[in-house]
Amino acid sequence: MRTFILRRLIYAIPTLIGVSIITFAIVRLSPGDPIRLYTFGARDITNEDIEALRRVYGLDKAMPLQYIDWLSRVVRLDFGQSFIYHKDAGSLILEILPNTLQLAVVSLVLQILIGVPLGVVAALKRGSWVDGLVRVFGVAGHAIPAFWLGLVLIIVFAVQLRLLPSQGMLTVGRDQWDLFDRLKHMLLPAFVLSLTGIANYSRILRTETLDVLGQDFVRTAHAKGLRERTVVFVHALRNALIPVVTALGGILAALVGGALVVETVFSWPGIGRFTFAAAIAKDYPIIQAGTMIASVLLVVSYLLRDIAYAVVDPRIKVR
Amino acid sequence: MAVFAASVLVATACGQGGPSASQEPAASASAAASEKPQDGGRVIEATISDIATMQPILVNDTASGRVTGLLYDVLIQVDAKTGEPKPNLATFSVSQDGLTYTFEINAKANWSDGKPVIAQDYLTGVQAVGKSAKTVRKSSYQDVQGFNDYKDGKAQTIEGIKIDSSNPKKFTVTMAKVSCPALLDIANTYRILPTHVFGKYLTATSKPEDIDNAPENTNPQVVDGPFTFSEWRKGDQVILKKNPNYWNGAPHLDEYVYKVVANTAAVTAGLKTGEITFGTIAARDLADMQTVDSVKITKYPSLGYTFIGWDTQSNVAGVALADKRVRQALAYGLDMDAVIKAVVFNEAVAHVAHHVAVQWAYPQDTSALNPYKFDKAKAQSLLTEAGWVKGADGILAKDGKKFTLTISTNSGNTERETLAQVAADQYKQLGIDAKAAPEAFQGLVTKLTSGDKTLDATIIGWSLGSEPDPYQIWHSSQIPDPAKNVTGFGFTYFKDPAMDKAIEEGRNPSNGDCSLAARRKNYDTFNKVLNEQQPYNFGYVPNVLAVSSKTLQNFNPAPFSTVYNVQDWWIKK
Repeated sequence: MRTFILRRLIYAIPTLIGVSIITFAIVRLSPGDPIRLYTFGARDITNEDIEALRRVYGLDKAMPLQYIDWLSRVVRLDFGQSFIYHKDAGSLILEILPNTLQLAVVSLVLQILIGVPLGVVAALKRGSWVDGLVRVFGVAGHAIPAFWLGLVLIIVFAVQLRLLPSQGMLTVGRDQWDLFDRLKHMLLPAFVLSLTGIANYSRILRTETLDVLGQDFVRTAHAKGLRERTVVFVHALRNALIPVVTALGGILAALVGGALVVETVFSWPGIGRFTFAAAIAKDYPIIQAGTMIASVLLVVSYLLRDIAYAVVDPRIKVR
Repeated sequence: MAVFAASVLVATACGQGGPSASQEPAASASAAASEKPQDGGRVIEATISDIATMQPILVNDTASGRVTGLLYDVLIQVDAKTGEPKPNLATFSVSQDGLTYTFEINAKANWSDGKPVIAQDYLTGVQAVGKSAKTVRKSSYQDVQGFNDYKDGKAQTIEGIKIDSSNPKKFTVTMAKVSCPALLDIANTYRILPTHVFGKYLTATSKPEDIDNAPENTNPQVVDGPFTFSEWRKGDQVILKKNPNYWNGAPHLDEYVYKVVANTAAVTAGLKTGEITFGTIAARDLADMQTVDSVKITKYPSLGYTFIGWDTQSNVAGVALADKRVRQALAYGLDMDAVIKAVVFNEAVAHVAHHVAVQWAYPQDTSALNPYKFDKAKAQSLLTEAGWVKGADGILAKDGKKFTLTISTNSGNTERETLAQVAADQYKQLGIDAKAAPEAFQGLVTKLTSGDKTLDATIIGWSLGSEPDPYQIWHSSQIPDPAKNVTGFGFTYFKDPAMDKAIEEGRNPSNGDCSLAARRKNYDTFNKVLNEQQPYNFGYVPNVLAVSSKTLQNFNPAPFSTVYNVQDWWIKK
């Protein structure tokens, strides 16, 4: 197991270097000059001033040299100074990241807690109205645009009913550790963020459970006279969960990356909005740091998935 | 201060022009007379962009300007309604030759830790700008005697700044030449900095990083404004507490929270639910907001305008646009009233020159300006006069060349995209093959300022500042020239000797007269040339729609400042 993890981590290095080169090239080759954007507010700024700023931010060198500069600092975990915030880009990302992670984790939990039972129930009550409802939801969950649903929920629950807040992570003036207040703020965005996942899981679980229920070993289990509940939960469900684990791989990274729309609709101060704003302002160090940290998250979540595989499916051995 | 107004995009621009956090006794006296203000409470202002810094010398965006302006007070402020300079933290006078400014800081002015605000603190602020590598406004002090030597490391002191030996609150600043924007440049652009905090970063051996990366830049504990700093939760909010020792009278409010939201939709939702105390909304949300009982809506003209800039040397439409008659035809041929209705729901006023009506530099005799009332026949006759005749396909042509016109604007800004579309539609009716082309803001800006001649027409906006000097936008020296590596905002390539002279005289008068009356004369000439020549279709001046909770009292935002009377604000319980 240890060699497996180690080997996977070593394999990740060329992937991360590849990602970094591609991001580096894209952000620099896209039109627009960060120093020009940054010096907008400046009255009577001279070309010499602009060139001096370019030197301060290391943008006067050739692109490959800039990349080597960047890489040599990144291996020491120095992502460079943000053009806008004049602070280390890595630490800025790490400061904001927990905001999105908490949303992503709650949303992941919601997906599994709601999606899995829905799928199993639909399979067990195949053909019933419950099944029909779950199947309609499986399609609708994919089809409803998150921004639209978010706005509707805000209008209904925040503006009309005044039950939940319309935006943000905490009521202004509340303590950071007021968990109830935070949960109230999290409810709507986490639900919207989890909707696609719930639809996904309910669909996968329904198909898989139906599939597994028809297999020989389940029939054997029934024949042995085991109780229905034991058959479903011990024998069938464990097998049906394998594809769920597959889908879990990368989901954390996808949630973190895909939170931009939800963060925007609910004004959640997360990493999606933060890096999006940085991309608009062409704040290279933050874009680079954001992409690298997201890539690391992706690699780690794939690794966790493979480990989880081994736990759920005894046929799979990690080597 | 002239700056690109940058739609809803973060950190792409918007001027500082520093909101001045200071008092205007006359305005507040009458309102406060009827009811006794209650102390306490909290104001939550909605903002679309987070702040970037709280170091005044590094401020380069509206959000940071707002918060820094509440923390650090300004020496000279401008009147919130007229933009005329007036004393604030200091009184001022100018010598006969216009070269020396004398300032005296208010005797009551103290830093929040109790130490007096002194002239040395002014010097510290200027030295910080000189030392910093990341500030973008060294040019503010370029005409101060000895500043450039200090900046280049050739001198350890700034010759032109002298502290009175008998009064530590009094000092003089001597300029190398007469410059009318100097007063606001040297006493309004930046704040003064506490020497006992920042002095250690500005010694003879200090490096630029010392001041640029000082921890106090994001955690300022010693300030002289109406509020003190409490906490910055990045991407979310900045929390300020009242400064009980503020020299100009402690605020009634306990707390000022600057809350970051994602967009104007969140501002309107937050205003309805009461999660936000005040913010500005988009014109399209006005009708909706008018149905909400709990809020007050304040309208005032913005300090800026949205325009279509003609590139008179564009590779495509340049031939046509170089002709004054064509540009005038494009002014007559666009029904600006209809445009304003379609684009900003009537919340704007048509504009025909550079300075906006609320600025003192705006011509007092507006009859001198041609209003270019919509007149399609006149537009057509001007085009014919210029040699553009309709061909068989209905498109204007001259010397076998068709009149095609691409109107670019920054994508994502729905207001400007609509404007581009409406303008293109109307110009089509004149026989011009016009189309709208949205494009990313970043790319647009680089093209405009670097002398790329691929854009025919561009819709963007200017946010103007307290200082009306239009040099940076309209002087011929600001026309980009890639061959000479000159960049600038003169992207129309239009120049006029009379206009250049008026701009120069308004900035550095040969007779040394910087009085508003003398400068106004020059700006009258300047605006008249622009009005006649139409290098821009000057578009419109949009209204700012400020919406506040009815519980917030004495909130009277004006074009030059929203928070000028913040210490008089109070919350009615």
